[in-house]
Amino acid sequence: MTFMRRCLHHVGHGTREDNFVKVEIYNAIMQRQKMSRRRMLKGAASVGAMAAIGGVSTGVAMRPALAAGEDNLRSEILKIPGVGMGSPTDADWQKVGELCLGPTRERVAEGEFDGVELTFMGLNNQNLHNFLFRGFLKPWEAYTGAKINWIDLAQADYNARLQQSIATGTVDFDIIEMGAPFEGDTAGRGLLDEMPDWVKEQIEAEDLVGYLQPPVGTWDGKTFRVTIDGDCHTFAYRKDYFGDGSITGRAEPPKTWQEVNEISKELAGKTDPLTGLPAHGYLDPLKGWGGFGFYFIENRATAYVKHPDDPAWLFDPDTMKPRVNNPGWVQAIQDVMDLIGTEGAYPADQINADPGTTAFQQFLAGTGSMLMWWGDVGSSARTSDTSVVGDVVGFGINPGSDRRYNSATGEWEDTYNEAPNMAYIGWGVYVTTRAASDEKTRKAAWSAAAHLGGKDISLWMSAYPSGFQPYRNSHFQYEEWEAAGYDRAYVEDYLGSNLDSYNHPNAAIEPRIPGIFQYYSVAEDELAKGFAGQYSSAQETADAIAAAWEKITDQIGRESQIALYKASLGM
Amino acid sequence: MIRTEGDQLHVVTADNISDRRRLFGKSLIWGSAALLVLIIALQIADQSGRVALGFETWRPTLYAYVLWAGCVCWGQVILHGEHGKRSLFILPAALFVISMVVFPLIFALGIAFSNWNLSSPDGRQFNGLDNVRQMWGDPFYWNALRNMVWYVLAIVVEYAIAFGLALLLNSQIRARKFFRVAFLLPLMLSPVAVSWMIGKSMLEIRFGPIARLARELGWSSPSFFGSPEMARAMIMIMDAWTFIPFMMIMILAGLQAIPRELREAAEVDGAPAWRRFWEITFPLMLPVSVTAILIRIIFKLKLADVIINVTSGGPGGATDSVTSFIFREYRDRSNVGYGTLLAIVYLVLIVIAMTALMKIADRWMKPRY
Amino acid sequence: MSQQIFHDRESDLSYRPSWQVSRVAIYAVLLLWALICLFPIYWTITTSFKAAPDVMQGNMVPWVDFTPKWLGMRSLGFSPEAIFAESTVREEFLKRFWNSTVVAVSSSLLALILGSCAAYGLSRFDYRFGFMRNSDLSFFFLSQLILPPVVLALPFLVLYKELALLDTRIGLILLYTLTVLPIVIWIMRDQFGSIPTELEEAALVDGLSVWGAFLTIIVPIALPGMVAAFILSLVLTWNEYFFAALLTSTNAKTLPVMVASQTGSQGISWWSMAALSSAAILPLIVIGIFLERFIIKGMAAGAVK
Repeated sequence: MTFMRRCLHHVGHGTREDNFVKVEIYNAIMQRQKMSRRRMLKGAASVGAMAAIGGVSTGVAMRPALAAGEDNLRSEILKIPGVGMGSPTDADWQKVGELCLGPTRERVAEGEFDGVELTFMGLNNQNLHNFLFRGFLKPWEAYTGAKINWIDLAQADYNARLQQSIATGTVDFDIIEMGAPFEGDTAGRGLLDEMPDWVKEQIEAEDLVGYLQPPVGTWDGKTFRVTIDGDCHTFAYRKDYFGDGSITGRAEPPKTWQEVNEISKELAGKTDPLTGLPAHGYLDPLKGWGGFGFYFIENRATAYVKHPDDPAWLFDPDTMKPRVNNPGWVQAIQDVMDLIGTEGAYPADQINADPGTTAFQQFLAGTGSMLMWWGDVGSSARTSDTSVVGDVVGFGINPGSDRRYNSATGEWEDTYNEAPNMAYIGWGVYVTTRAASDEKTRKAAWSAAAHLGGKDISLWMSAYPSGFQPYRNSHFQYEEWEAAGYDRAYVEDYLGSNLDSYNHPNAAIEPRIPGIFQYYSVAEDELAKGFAGQYSSAQETADAIAAAWEKITDQIGRESQIALYKASLGM
Repeated sequence: MIRTEGDQLHVVTADNISDRRRLFGKSLIWGSAALLVLIIALQIADQSGRVALGFETWRPTLYAYVLWAGCVCWGQVILHGEHGKRSLFILPAALFVISMVVFPLIFALGIAFSNWNLSSPDGRQFNGLDNVRQMWGDPFYWNALRNMVWYVLAIVVEYAIAFGLALLLNSQIRARKFFRVAFLLPLMLSPVAVSWMIGKSMLEIRFGPIARLARELGWSSPSFFGSPEMARAMIMIMDAWTFIPFMMIMILAGLQAIPRELREAAEVDGAPAWRRFWEITFPLMLPVSVTAILIRIIFKLKLADVIINVTSGGPGGATDSVTSFIFREYRDRSNVGYGTLLAIVYLVLIVIAMTALMKIADRWMKPRY
Repeated sequence: MSQQIFHDRESDLSYRPSWQVSRVAIYAVLLLWALICLFPIYWTITTSFKAAPDVMQGNMVPWVDFTPKWLGMRSLGFSPEAIFAESTVREEFLKRFWNSTVVAVSSSLLALILGSCAAYGLSRFDYRFGFMRNSDLSFFFLSQLILPPVVLALPFLVLYKELALLDTRIGLILLYTLTVLPIVIWIMRDQFGSIPTELEEAALVDGLSVWGAFLTIIVPIALPGMVAAFILSLVLTWNEYFFAALLTSTNAKTLPVMVASQTGSQGISWWSMAALSSAAILPLIVIGIFLERFIIKGMAAGAVK
């Protein structure tokens, strides 16, 4: 047992002087004993792994049983810095990164990547994303000896920078944080390196929720992506707006977009119970957001146009003819225009509100009562410094509709329909072929990617403001969240809405075709004109979008787009 | 090649330049030029795979260009003696600008007349005048051009304010230094930071201090970006806020340079203040005003940062400037061929407009001198 | 009884009270405008010490209606408890700050040297390059100022890639020099134009060469103008965003790119946005306060001929 204790000491402590047990020996033991790391650690913990005490290299004191056992690990990292303690900081990220190094230690010897330099390109949103990764990877760098250079991009610059790199042959990064919609641009052109099997093992890929399993995350049958995020839009509402005696006078939050619009109109002129400011209903972002704003009109439209019998809902898969001007889409645009026409339905200046504003400046700050957003609004409501509504938020899936449009028949059907929007399909970490030039660099790049996509570290990312949301079945173990200080009912509500959306049979999954954000971006411009009243009707607005989309399809190449669109739909 | 007759600075120089020296100078220039051409040729051959020389970058060409530029400068002195030394003043800047602008500009022209969407697997394809035709029918572009006219017209108001502030600063006041520094500071700030801290934070309609002030003043539901006119006005104000100091300094500098005797003479005359201003100060300030306004127009024509960050051109394109629209076309839609064409057309338009303006200004100002 | 020599005229008598009124009005306007100029800066700096509720309630005066917190500084790794710990954010910030400084100062200096020489030449000699005369040459230089950045974006990307100048400070410095050169030439040409040529003529008679006269006599006289041109260049290069975002990735990235990326899918953390903005504007504010007199002096020389 002494041996075991030393071994644990190594896992928990990890300073260079302590390199007593060689990684190979450790692995050999694991193999021979057919013992999962988890069981081994658990067993050891019970015998008295108190020996594993010791400060992490960041010099922050840890509580005793910290390094002992994976369950403990998961509950310990969830306490950094703790719910209600405000936004985590760099020191917290480093701490979490240090604690989650276990899987890396199993596969990589200390100092194995000495001299390797990697370049990591990713986002730099509000000091999350890359900033987070920097903190997480700092201990990884210290352990493996590799050095990482960072390319931080603003979200608005991201697409442009990526496209320019590809088109001019200046791919200057080894690891890239990328959204699935860009797989057409990168994997489709052979820029990515296929994932080695040991990475799949390390990140425990079978734990991913159903919709993130192949074909999503693969291209031509090959896996390229270390998933670090799962995306879907869920419906968030203010619980104090509904129930007996509430200002809406309704017992239940709305189930359909028709109800959402009714409520929003009724609320005009009333007063918010929490803030005392004017009350508002659903918050449509009316301003573009570098293409991302289009997801929000999609949220309304999917209920009308995503027919269970047809996986396609943006284009006709055979011709790439846009469906965006069919009656279902036009109805979605018309719904927004109706609210614009209702005095007081939206906060003043809504025409200048982009999605970020609606979620973080408005909803979390107590303005407006209904919102569609990615899952991370749920954890942000409780843990972010910006939020004042943590106690009164409820969640549900994307509202449905009383009727749906069938584009095959060209008719409306009076059947209830709902279709959660899997907007963006989540961020992933990919390794480029540039890193694959030699085996050492390649292994280093994949090891870094796998560290970020690890099972335990991802739990922390989905619980705290990180820009990422739950994407693994193991994230839905409510006890863990409860133990971390979340209120059980809240967590079930919040995580349940995500789980329901992920597993929905009629989920609307976006096409991973090249240039998809060009379509969104031009649609935003036309929508902005429509919302400002420069087109005479919703139909005219939709027709303008369709015309612009046809132009883009022709420019990128209609035949290749059709083929890729069908492939991404699994047709 | 270069003659220097009609100089402001008259110097009598007697350079005896021997034939040998002349030959040396010429061979220096032509020799380095030949080396440059040779290296370019070698690099092209290497690129196209005809010879394998193992060039990784075009750096050798860059070095050869720098060498050639140096030789040209030196050669001028050798060939023309004193006169050559004079051209040394301007040659480095000229060679620098030519290398940095002219070559990329030629390349840009190539891009402008091609169909190049970065997402397209086919890459760049020459498409003649298709982009021009598309531009002709692009309502967003024309809308942006129309907005630019409004933005430029707003300079008149900025100018009036700047002039007023300059007059105040130039009058007998206490703490002049403080006011001067305070008035100057907005010029120093980064447009990106300005658009966030003012456009997003201070103009936030619920808690922003400006919105709260507006409520105090009786505007019950302030909305700064709701209507097209209002949104455009807010953009103009934010832009004016950063650039009024610029015009103000130039005018203030001009005011301080007015000879004291002139003003005193006018005061002794007993003319009322506003007449003194119109008949003496303002005419004297015309040249500097014109310069200030021209520079301001040039800066205004590039207006983009604030718009991109605050309104993205909305509502419905009411605040779009040409540059911010091209940025969207170029950045969000990766449509670089078309975007570059729009930019080049804009360049041509404003070069024509600026030339005309400068000529008019010249002619208009001359008789008054 | 002596005769009064100077009589107050009718208009002068009425002048007294109206003079006082106008004094009050002048100071009122001055103070109002000073408020307009300074308040946003005050707002930015104080916001970096506010927590979310303070921002939401629009609290303005520290210690009176809100308690300053280290939120903004913490997000940059500069708060008291983080300053001695290892901070990846602070490293990043300092690296960018240093890059911004190096790039802005070097490109402004380079532009000042190239531009002053060219401006001096243009103000003193009559050049003829082919069809181009002095006025054409001036316009050639100034027209660079009009050039919309998007025109050059992609060509520069490709060009720099071929020259291995992407993501290097040198590449950025060269490009920034190009963008501010016109301003320098514009200001310095007026500067030199206002210095009488007799000065150099005397020096030339004394046996100095043209360059000798320029360096020993003209440059010292024109120094305030050069400082003004330098500061303006510094302002423009320090704040440049578009090309920095396009042409740099890891080694040469600058501060404005970091400020701009404070927005994205997670809303805005006002305190960290404000802290970054403050850090980005502070150096220029300091320069503005200490070197302000040079700016006005520098522009004065050329303003009225």
